Amino acid sequence: MSAGSETLPRKAGVATAGWRRFRPAAVLMNLWVYPLLIAWTLIGIVLLYPATWILARLFLRWETARISRHVTWIYGRGWLLIIAPFVQFAREGFAENRPPRPCIFVVNHLSYFDTYFMGALPFSNCVFAVRAWPFRTLFWYTAIMRLSRYLDVESLGWEATVEACRREMAGGAVMVFFPEGHRSRDGRLQRFYSGSFMAACATGAPVVPLCIAGTDTLLPPGRLWLQPARVRLRALPAVDPAGFPGELGHVALRKHVKALMASALREMRTEAAA
Amino acid sequence: MTDQEIIDRINEALAEEFELEPAAMTPDATLYNALGLDSLDTVDMVIVLENAFRFKIREEEAIRKISTLGDIHRFVIGKIREREAPPG
Repeated sequence: MSAGSETLPRKAGVATAGWRRFRPAAVLMNLWVYPLLIAWTLIGIVLLYPATWILARLFLRWETARISRHVTWIYGRGWLLIIAPFVQFAREGFAENRPPRPCIFVVNHLSYFDTYFMGALPFSNCVFAVRAWPFRTLFWYTAIMRLSRYLDVESLGWEATVEACRREMAGGAVMVFFPEGHRSRDGRLQRFYSGSFMAACATGAPVVPLCIAGTDTLLPPGRLWLQPARVRLRALPAVDPAGFPGELGHVALRKHVKALMASALREMRTEAAA
Repeated sequence: MTDQEIIDRINEALAEEFELEPAAMTPDATLYNALGLDSLDTVDMVIVLENAFRFKIREEEAIRKISTLGDIHRFVIGKIREREAPPG
């Protein structure tokens, strides 16, 4: 393990070995979730998006990007309903640590479905700042990414990303970053990229750390087989970037937030194992 | 500072910032393959080096040509010797 990386307790209760992956609950889950998710996606493309677009343009005068983000949020809510029979999902900390607006959410990354759980956020006007691959993948993915005006940080570079964050937050959006950049392959918190923290220091927007746990049990990286899981999404108190001044303020902010998240994730895993 | 002291400071700063294994930090280690960095790390790398050596390099064209750790060593040593050289 490289120096400076955060060590978390090994995850407990993950049924990944051999035949245990195919126990009845898991088989039923895969037979239930994937067909419903495909159907929900088709409904989203054919019905939900057009209907929402028309109604929101007519009655709310929302622009296309805002409408697209709202549809994505509803899609995420639908996902939470689909998996409900097999996943115990808990949202924590949002009542006592109500996220301010605007703000920059930073989330740890364990699984492909982490973004789907962002449907649990209290705001629908979320702008995801992500790597390039979702912009170059399945056509409906690319379409919704572009329509929603999500940020391709690899193509933009950090300077343009920061300016885009400033613009979007001025328009009422909140930002969502996965500062690790990649899904963790072993459950450990990886090093953080600085971009989200540069944006926070440049714009003054508070950083809200979001800790997600259990999605690596639900669907580990490199796998397609879903497993029943307990997933928790915990919001930590917002961190004000004003407390991290100077040219290297974003570095100090990054390290501070990472330490907070590592501590919270350790606590969550310990609670899960108990 | 000697060249080796400069190299040691570079390696220490980069190892701390990017959580790199010291054993992997050989002069011929490529940034993008061997060390696992990518284009998003370039800004942080520049900031780390500027902070470690108190110079400004972010506008330097030569940075774009850096591909190995040894390239970084040579670039920084060159900048420091340039700064130390008497004027005229």
